[in-house]
Amino acid sequence: MALTLVSSNKCFDGFQKVFEHDSTELKCKMRFGIYLPPKAEGGKCPVLYWLSGLTCTEQNFITKAGSQQEAAEHGIIIVSPDTSPRGCNIEGEDESWDFGTGAGFYVNATEDQWKVNYRMYSYITEELPHLINSNFPADSERMSISGHSMGGHGALICALKNPGKYKSVSAFAPICNPMQCPWGQKAFSGYLGSDKSKWESYDATVLVSAYSGPQLDILIDQGRDDQFLAAGQLLPDNFIAACTEKKIPVVFRLQQVCILILSLVFV
Amino acid sequence: ACFSLLPSPPVIKKKVCRSCPNAALIRWESGNTNPVDSYTVELGEISRERSETAVTESIVGIPTYESIIQLLSGRSYLIYVRAVNIGGPSERSDPVIIYTTGGTLFHLNEETAHPSLAISEDGFTMFYGDEYTELNDITLSDNAFSRCVAIMGELIPIRGKHYWEVEVEEHTEYRIGVAYEDTQRNGYLGANNTSWCMRHVMTPSRHKYEFLHNGSTPDIRITMHPKRIGVSLDYETGKLAFFNTDLSQHIYTYKCHFLHYVHPCFALEKPGALTVHNGIEAPEYITFS
Repeated sequence: MALTLVSSNKCFDGFQKVFEHDSTELKCKMRFGIYLPPKAEGGKCPVLYWLSGLTCTEQNFITKAGSQQEAAEHGIIIVSPDTSPRGCNIEGEDESWDFGTGAGFYVNATEDQWKVNYRMYSYITEELPHLINSNFPADSERMSISGHSMGGHGALICALKNPGKYKSVSAFAPICNPMQCPWGQKAFSGYLGSDKSKWESYDATVLVSAYSGPQLDILIDQGRDDQFLAAGQLLPDNFIAACTEKKIPVVFRLQQVCILILSLVFV
Repeated sequence: ACFSLLPSPPVIKKKVCRSCPNAALIRWESGNTNPVDSYTVELGEISRERSETAVTESIVGIPTYESIIQLLSGRSYLIYVRAVNIGGPSERSDPVIIYTTGGTLFHLNEETAHPSLAISEDGFTMFYGDEYTELNDITLSDNAFSRCVAIMGELIPIRGKHYWEVEVEEHTEYRIGVAYEDTQRNGYLGANNTSWCMRHVMTPSRHKYEFLHNGSTPDIRITMHPKRIGVSLDYETGKLAFFNTDLSQHIYTYKCHFLHYVHPCFALEKPGALTVHNGIEAPEYITFS
């Protein structure tokens, strides 16, 4: 699969690059960021997949998170994909900031209008890793996943639905129980239709109750003053309760720093 | 002519010797009523090939009753002490065997124990019984904790990495961590700026975990309740970390640059028991905290 280099910048002795390719899952051109640490010149490195939140592109994490220094020090490749397919000419795709463009919710849509292009779940768990493993010095045995907000939801569900695939899973201010919050209900009814049993396989809190696989070790950071926490969009308590019940190890840290969901200052 | 008597050999206080992979702290009693000028420590590595251990190293002119000795890791040593006066050196003391395999070894200092604590015979389990000990009836030593039902261990004062584990039951209410030697004995672990601890208490609805220093704690929730807690202390990076060893799970790390050497501390908040395990090599996952 052909990758086109969009940009390349030297960063902490490694390279922050952006590539574009024709996605077979999403049937459109997609961009992703990839940070290659200095160690990647000499051998394979583990890969962290970072999933961004609502309205983000592949740029937000690269420019705001300041992750390159740590990635360079620890010899980790960081891949930061976009958050949805773009320019698909679907009616209504640009109408809201929390549905459609920039809001793929990491599902494989089943509703007619969206099902051809909105397959972010398969893109993240299958197409993108194959692409990365084939084109970069990536250690395919060592993949981890993390994300922020909608991307936190994405990281949690990808790990829960693929036992053993990821060495670690963590999330910043994740949407933990989308079936029970306005964002999730809007997205799931749009992408998956009104049959709520179809929503369950993309809800981390529900997936935890049915999880069986190698031991997970989940780390979640959440800003205490996050407006979306107060607005009931994130619902970490539901997730913690489900993990406690199912005996899944979680460390949940409520931070004094206010995490603005659309800005990655804390990261 | 004036004949001086040779001194008697000292007596090594085996119960208070401590070690870590690169060093040992040996302490002894003089063994003499007459003054001694200095002490000499002699040591040799125990080898499987030879039945007799040859003394290969000697440290002379030690003015006090203790000495920190640099050693190589992964070995066993026989260590002796001699007293020296104007007449010459004494016979060798009975030796102490020091192992530098497997981690840091320390003992609990019973002098620091709150009166309500009973210590097991092997010295590594502490019990807080149901009977309330009337403090008024006891002359408390200056060194003992008087409010927090706590005891301090005696860690070898050497920079580098140290690791130990604490075994509890799911409902044990405890404080475990470290403190400076002179931490307030009438204070509670974690409530002042001379101590750091992980605290577990039960509320009517849930388990509550706190990481206390200077009275404040971050807000942390965990879903699996540790029964064996690994504590890792690294002076170089200024980190004190806690782990659920059964799950190889990292729980919390303090980042603090210690101004002085610290000692492990253990406290029980309500009747219960706690066992300290040390002399353990830190598991591999600890390096990633």
